[in-house]
Amino acid sequence: MGSYRRIDCIFFSEFHPTLGPKITYQVPEEYISRELFDTVQVYIITKPELQNKLITVTAMEKKLIGCPVCIEHKKYSRNALLFNLGLVCDARTKTCALEPIVKKLSGYLTTLELESGFISNEESKQKLLPILSTLLEELNVTGACTLPIDDSNTIHLKLIEQRKDPLVVQEYDVPVFTKNKDHFIKSQWDLTTQQILPFVDGYRHIQKISAEADVELNLVRIAVQNLLYYEVVTLVSIFQYSNVYCTTPKVQNLIDKKCLQEECIHYVSKLGQRTNLRDVFQLYCGLTPGTTVRDLCSRYSHQLQRVDERKLIQFGLMKGLIRRLQKYPVKVVRDERSRPPRLYTGCHSYDEICCKTGMSYKELDERLENDPNIVVCWK
Amino acid sequence: MLKKTSPISVILVSSGSRGNKLLFRYPFQRVSENTSSATCKCSLNGCRQNFHLFCDHCTLFLSLFLSLKRFSDIILATILATKSDMCGKKFELKIDNVRFVGHPTLLQPPHTIQVSKTDPSPKRELPTMILFSVVFALRANADASVINCMHNLSRRIAIALQHEERRCQYLTREAKLMLAVQDEVTTMTETDGTPQSPFRQILPKCKLARDLKEAYDSLCTTGVVRLHINNWLEVSFCLPHKIHRVGGKHIPPEALERSLKAIRPYHALLLLDNEKALLAQLPLDCSPALVRLIKTCSAVKNLQQLAQDADLALLQVFQIAAHLVYWGKAIIIYPLCENNVYMLSPHANICIYSPLAEQFGLQFPGHDLPSMLAKFSLPVSLSEFRNPLDAPVHEAQLIQMVVWMLQRRLLFQLHTYVCLLVPPVEEEPGLREEEPPLVTRVTGRSLSTPSALSFGSPTSSDDMTLTSPSMDNSSAELQTGGDSPLNKRMTETLLASLTEHERQAILRVPAAQNPEDLRLFARLLHYFRGHHHLEEIMYNENMRRSQLKTLFDKFRSVLVITNHEDPIISLFQSPPD
Repeated sequence: MGSYRRIDCIFFSEFHPTLGPKITYQVPEEYISRELFDTVQVYIITKPELQNKLITVTAMEKKLIGCPVCIEHKKYSRNALLFNLGLVCDARTKTCALEPIVKKLSGYLTTLELESGFISNEESKQKLLPILSTLLEELNVTGACTLPIDDSNTIHLKLIEQRKDPLVVQEYDVPVFTKNKDHFIKSQWDLTTQQILPFVDGYRHIQKISAEADVELNLVRIAVQNLLYYEVVTLVSIFQYSNVYCTTPKVQNLIDKKCLQEECIHYVSKLGQRTNLRDVFQLYCGLTPGTTVRDLCSRYSHQLQRVDERKLIQFGLMKGLIRRLQKYPVKVVRDERSRPPRLYTGCHSYDEICCKTGMSYKELDERLENDPNIVVCWK
Repeated sequence: MLKKTSPISVILVSSGSRGNKLLFRYPFQRVSENTSSATCKCSLNGCRQNFHLFCDHCTLFLSLFLSLKRFSDIILATILATKSDMCGKKFELKIDNVRFVGHPTLLQPPHTIQVSKTDPSPKRELPTMILFSVVFALRANADASVINCMHNLSRRIAIALQHEERRCQYLTREAKLMLAVQDEVTTMTETDGTPQSPFRQILPKCKLARDLKEAYDSLCTTGVVRLHINNWLEVSFCLPHKIHRVGGKHIPPEALERSLKAIRPYHALLLLDNEKALLAQLPLDCSPALVRLIKTCSAVKNLQQLAQDADLALLQVFQIAAHLVYWGKAIIIYPLCENNVYMLSPHANICIYSPLAEQFGLQFPGHDLPSMLAKFSLPVSLSEFRNPLDAPVHEAQLIQMVVWMLQRRLLFQLHTYVCLLVPPVEEEPGLREEEPPLVTRVTGRSLSTPSALSFGSPTSSDDMTLTSPSMDNSSAELQTGGDSPLNKRMTETLLASLTEHERQAILRVPAAQNPEDLRLFARLLHYFRGHHHLEEIMYNENMRRSQLKTLFDKFRSVLVITNHEDPIISLFQSPPD
C-alpha cells in the first residue's frame, strides 16, 4: 500500500429535505471545508442524469470520488432519497484503484436502503459513522475491509492494484520465471497454470508447452498472459545455437550496478563454479550481428568454461542487456501471375514461420537461399 | 491515429446572468443526421468510411462518442461551467469513462455596462458573461501527460479569448450569436418537429465555432494546432504525443526533454521535411535566426559548425534545435560521414505493403525499400555502402536514401563504447576490491559545457585535425618532452584513482612500457566506463579515430569493447521501454 493511494477522508452526503445538500458524516471530522463542499456539491448531489455514475472531481488540491444514488419512492419527503458516499484524496493521487470500491459501496448502501430502510431510518443511519471510521482505517492500512453491517449484510472490499495490460503471447515466445518458482504456493493457482508449470523452464516455447503438457494452445497462452500480468514471468525468444544477438545500451548496467553483477554471476555460472565480471561482460560484448551463439562458443571457449551459455543468453534477454536479431524474409520481386506473399512479407520472423508451418530453421533457410526473389532482413 | 491521444469532443461553456450555457460543442450530437455524408473521424491512412461502416478504430471512437452523447447540453453546461472559485486553475472532472479537462476563466465585466443602482428608470438588463471555459472531453484513461497538454491548450485559447474580450468584447459577441442560433433552431424544431443540430447552423456564422472545430480536427489528425482568434491573435500548440510516434508508441514529452538536454555540439540536426516545405510553414513574424538556421543546416554539419555558418551563438542553436525537435520538424543524429556505421532499427516497418515502401518506390524509382533495408541487416559503414566504382551520381543517390531512411527512423547508428575491465585476481576469485566511484576519477574539466569547447570544425571525412589546444589539461602540456618528471607525475595521479590491482594489470600490458602510450591511456581513463563513445572521445580530446583504435588495440587485455546505439539520441529512433 503506497502512500500515493492514501484516502484522506470518507464522507456521507445527502440531500436534506429542508437544508439541501449537506455532509451528514465525515471521517475525520471537519475535513471537508464549507468552501470545498460549496464548490463541488453539484458533483456530489447531482441532477438525475448523473446518477449511478462514478464522478471524480478535482478542486482545491483535493480529489473527490463519489457515486450519487437516487432512490425514488413516495414515502420520502420530496419523493426521492439522494445520497452519495465518497472518498477524498490528495489531488495528485492516482485514484483508479479506488473507483471500484466507491461503486461497490454505493451498491451496498442502495441494497441496504431498499431492504431495510437503513439510511432513511435515523437510528440505523447513525451506524454509518463507525462504519466510515473502520473503512478509512482498514483500507489505508491493509487495502482490504470486511464489515458486518447487520445480521444479514456484510461488506467485503479490496483495493486491487491496476497493472498495465500484458503483451500478447505468441506461440513462439518462451516464458521464463523472474522469481524462483518455488517461492509460490502453487495450489493457489488455477488448474491450467498448475498443469503447465513444470514445463515453464525458460527454454520451452508456448507451442511446445502446449504439446508436452497436453493443454490446448490458447489456454496456455492465456495462462502465461496471466502470469505476465502479475510480473511473475517474462518472455524471451527460443534459444538455438544458430541465433544471433547483439548488445543494447543497457549492457552498461552490468558495469554500473553492483547488485546486477552479483545476480548475473550467480545466474549464469555453471553449477559449482563461479565466473567473473570480465568474462561475462566479454561474452555479452562478443554477441554481435553476424555472430551466432555457436561462433561465440568457439571464440570464447575460455570464458565459457565457467558459464552456461543458455543461462547467459536467458539472463541477458530478461534484463534487456542483449536483444535477439530475428530474420524476416521479404519477397521483393514477383511476377503478376503469382499469388501475393502471405508469410514472406517482412512482417513474420523465422521463429513465427517455423512455428506456424512446422519447418525447421534449416529447412526454411534452404528453401529461401535458393530463391532470388527473396531478401532477408535482420532486425 | 485515433488512440488515447485524440479528444472525443471540444465544448465551450459559459456562466453569467443568463445562467450556465453550453455555447458550442463539436462533434455534433446528432449522429443520425445525414449518415451518408458523415465521414469517419478516424484519420488512419485517410480512412473515409461512413460512420455506420466502422473500421476497428472507429468502433472505439463511436463507443466513446456515444457515451458522451448521453450527456445533454444542459447537463454539460451545469457540470462544466464551474463556480468562479474554480477559475484560473486546471479543471478536471471524470464521469465514468469520460474525462473533461479545461481552464475556466473569469471575465471582468466591461465598465460601460455598469448600471447605476440609483437610476429609477427601467433599463434593459444586458446579459453579462462572468466566466467561460473551453473543455476537452477525453478518454478517462488518457495519459497524464496528454491531459496536461490538453489543459495547456485550453488555457492558451482562454488567454487569447480573455484578451480579445477585454479589447473588443469578442467573446460576448460570439456567444450572443451562438445562443441566438440555438434559440432559433429550438423554435423551429418546436414548429417543424424535425430534430436539427443548432451547432451545424452555428458553424458558418461564428468564427470562434470554426476555430474550435479546427482545433479539434487538428488534434485528431496531425496534433499541430494553429488558430487565429478573431483573425488577430495566434494560438499555436502541438501535441507531442501525436508528433513523436515511433513504432506505434508515443515518446513522452519528459523523455524528449531529457534527451534534448543531453545534446552535444558534435551532434547534427536532421530536418524531417525539405527546407522549402518547412520554411513555408513558419509564421510571417518568426525569428530570422530560425530561418537562417533552417537554411544552413545539413545532415553532415554538426551543431557547432552550424552555429558558425549561421552566425549564431551555440546556445541559441541548441535552443532552436530543441524547438524544432519538439515540434517534430527535426531529429538529432550524429553527422553523416564515411565511418558512420548504420544498422536496421528493430522498430522499422519492413513490410512490403507499408506506406513507407510505397513512398520509397516513388522517391527512388527502380529501387525497393526492403532490398535496401536488407543491406543494413549487418552493420555497414557509409563508405562500405557506397561503392566507389559507381558513378558519382549514383553515390549521391545512395546518400539521399540513407538520409531518407534516417528521417523515417528505419536506421540507427552504432557507436563504439569502451570499458576498463581488468582480469580478476586469480588467487582469490571471489574477492574483488571496491572500485571508487567514477566521480573521483574525472579530472578537471566537465564534459558537458558546450561553450568551453572551441575546436576546429570536423570535416565531413571525420578527420579531426588539431587546431587550437584550448584545454587546461589537454594533450599540449603532456606532449612536450618525453619522459619528464612532470609528465610522469601526471600519469601517476591519473592512475591513482584506480585500485592497486587495476594499476598493476595496466602496467603489465606491454604497451605500458611506452610512456607516451601510458600517458594517453591514463588521460583517457575516465572515458572507459562504457558511457562515452568513440566519436565523443575524438571530439573532446581532438584525436583521430585511428589513434584511438590503435590505443584500444594495444591495451585490449584490460579493455572490453562493444557497439550499440547512443542511448541519448536513440530516443528518436525507438520508443523508450
